Amino acid sequence: MAIISSGNAQTRPETPTHVPGIDQGNARGNYEKMPGHNPDGTSTARRSTGIEPKSQEPIDPSMPNLSPA
Amino acid sequence: MAATRESIKPEAGKLVDMSWDPITRIVGNLGIYTKIDFENRQVATCKSTSSMFRGYSVFMKGKDPRDAHFITSRICGICGDNHAVCSCYAQQMAYGVKPPPLGEWIVNLGEAAEYIFDHIIFQDNLVFVDFCEQMVRATNPKVLEKAEKTDAPGANIHGYRTIADIMRSYNPFTGETYKEALHMSRIGREMICLMEGRHVHPSTIYPGGVGTVATPTLFTDYLSRLLRCLDFIKSAVAMNDDVFDFFYEALPGYEEVGRRRILLGCWGAWNNPDHVDYDYRNMDDWGNEMFVTPGVVVDGELVTTNLVDINLGIRILLGSSYYEDWTNEETFVERDPLGNPVDKHHPWNQTTIPRPQKRDLDGGKYSWVMSPRWFDKRTGHHLALDTGGGALARLWATALANKVDTPYVKATGHSVLINLPQTPNTPEQTLEWKIPKWSNAIERDRARIYFVAYSAAMAMHFLDRAMTELRSGRTKVFEDFDVPEEAIGCGFHEAVRGVLSHHLVIREGKIANYHPYPPTPWNGSPTDSFGTPGPYEDAVAGQPIFEENSQENFRGIDIMRAVRSFDPCLPCGVHMYLGKGRTLKQVHSPMFGEQHG
Repeated sequence: MAIISSGNAQTRPETPTHVPGIDQGNARGNYEKMPGHNPDGTSTARRSTGIEPKSQEPIDPSMPNLSPA
Repeated sequence: MAATRESIKPEAGKLVDMSWDPITRIVGNLGIYTKIDFENRQVATCKSTSSMFRGYSVFMKGKDPRDAHFITSRICGICGDNHAVCSCYAQQMAYGVKPPPLGEWIVNLGEAAEYIFDHIIFQDNLVFVDFCEQMVRATNPKVLEKAEKTDAPGANIHGYRTIADIMRSYNPFTGETYKEALHMSRIGREMICLMEGRHVHPSTIYPGGVGTVATPTLFTDYLSRLLRCLDFIKSAVAMNDDVFDFFYEALPGYEEVGRRRILLGCWGAWNNPDHVDYDYRNMDDWGNEMFVTPGVVVDGELVTTNLVDINLGIRILLGSSYYEDWTNEETFVERDPLGNPVDKHHPWNQTTIPRPQKRDLDGGKYSWVMSPRWFDKRTGHHLALDTGGGALARLWATALANKVDTPYVKATGHSVLINLPQTPNTPEQTLEWKIPKWSNAIERDRARIYFVAYSAAMAMHFLDRAMTELRSGRTKVFEDFDVPEEAIGCGFHEAVRGVLSHHLVIREGKIANYHPYPPTPWNGSPTDSFGTPGPYEDAVAGQPIFEENSQENFRGIDIMRAVRSFDPCLPCGVHMYLGKGRTLKQVHSPMFGEQHG
């Protein structure tokens, strides 16, 4: 490395890294755990609300299921 | 080898040192040091320096690779999202994950908005300060006189009768176009925020996809803003053409300003989710399906569109930079996933070893920027590619490659056709950007506004495709992945002002090596170890001076136009040193108009 005097490090470079034992948001299998997200990439009203989601589904099953953000 | 003009050897004592340090519109303190031969009205020599050390490649080591896009986004205060996206491309290759199509369309829409916003704010609020009525009056009064008498050919589109009227509309703070452009750039940023959560540093862009929740409202909000921009873009293209054509006519020989050999690099933009799988072994295939075709153009000839060739040809040279060579350091990647050998001076194998020292412009080290070059295996030359401010190389490579074919944008082999739909205030319009004769300041500037139209037209296509996904109910925007213990990745993208690559090596689940190469190191690089000057130096050295002012009142407008045509980031101030111990301090900011009006 360079000959630059920079004092003692105040933190370790990997400080913000993952903490063992805590679930990783990106880990495989998380998609399946999320309610309202179907295996084929579609979704249902359950992804938007846990309160009576079935009553929020499209009235016609052939319509795309586009729940609010 | 890359110089376009023979070096001038004027008689000793007749040169005047002139320097601009920091020059405006760059993050990283660009300085331009020239020697000007006033008797022959020519720039004799030029050196481009940077006085700021960034060190991203140093402090990225040891970090979690999933942080890379959040950290590298901070490289730039205006195109940070380009870095975030490029970093995600590199990470996706390393993790072996491909985002769902809707996630990819959302990224593409965000990046299209970035090109629209950034090119507009740079072109109309910064570049055109150099071409506005007040500036032309101060530097070339005879040209302004002619502009007053010259009818604007595109008056029926933009409504300005004469060229001088257009120039007046670009006057800072007071001009109509200047003010309208500020408004447009705000709308562009709103469009980015819709797709990427935040601007400049996106909050919803991740490797594996996006966190943006796709709803019909999201896309209609974007569309309504895009249509508003399209009205502006249609008249802006006509105004740009009128002003630039007028400069060629009013100042014969102006094509020499900022002209250099045609050496252009474009790393491609907007992946096509129908083809991209982020597997290095298939990079040639999916790279050629991008909506801006990657390519290297040498002397007007398209050398390659293969991203693997482009990747393996990258060399980071030293020569005039404050670093030590890393030949004896670790080699991280000996062969790429296809088995091709990777050079020691390739970013994958680079180790940054800073060596601060005194600046020496006479044959010594003088810049913190290294000298990225592209190795042309046909000739064995290390080419000092430039990006033409981004837009010129993108349009040139796309036009020659003749691969892009969408309902809104189509390459023809010699030009690019851009179809803009009817919008609230303007009818449908078809634009054609034709490959120009020169790679010079005017053509870099002209290409920029055409690329805004290109981006807007492409955004229409991305919206169509995204809405198709949504109407089918496919709302998935993120794909899960695990971080491997050992992996390599590279991302190729276009930052607004040109080529952008991120090279990543992961070991033990952490970053072992990370090297982002944005466009400005390519354009602003100093003379390399082979003695090849960087593009700014090359473009300015030997260029004629058209400014009417004498040495005492010299503003260096032609040099500024040449350097700024490469789009070196954001403005702060220009300090000009006029030899003989006299320093002129000229603040070149949007306040220019107010102070001198």
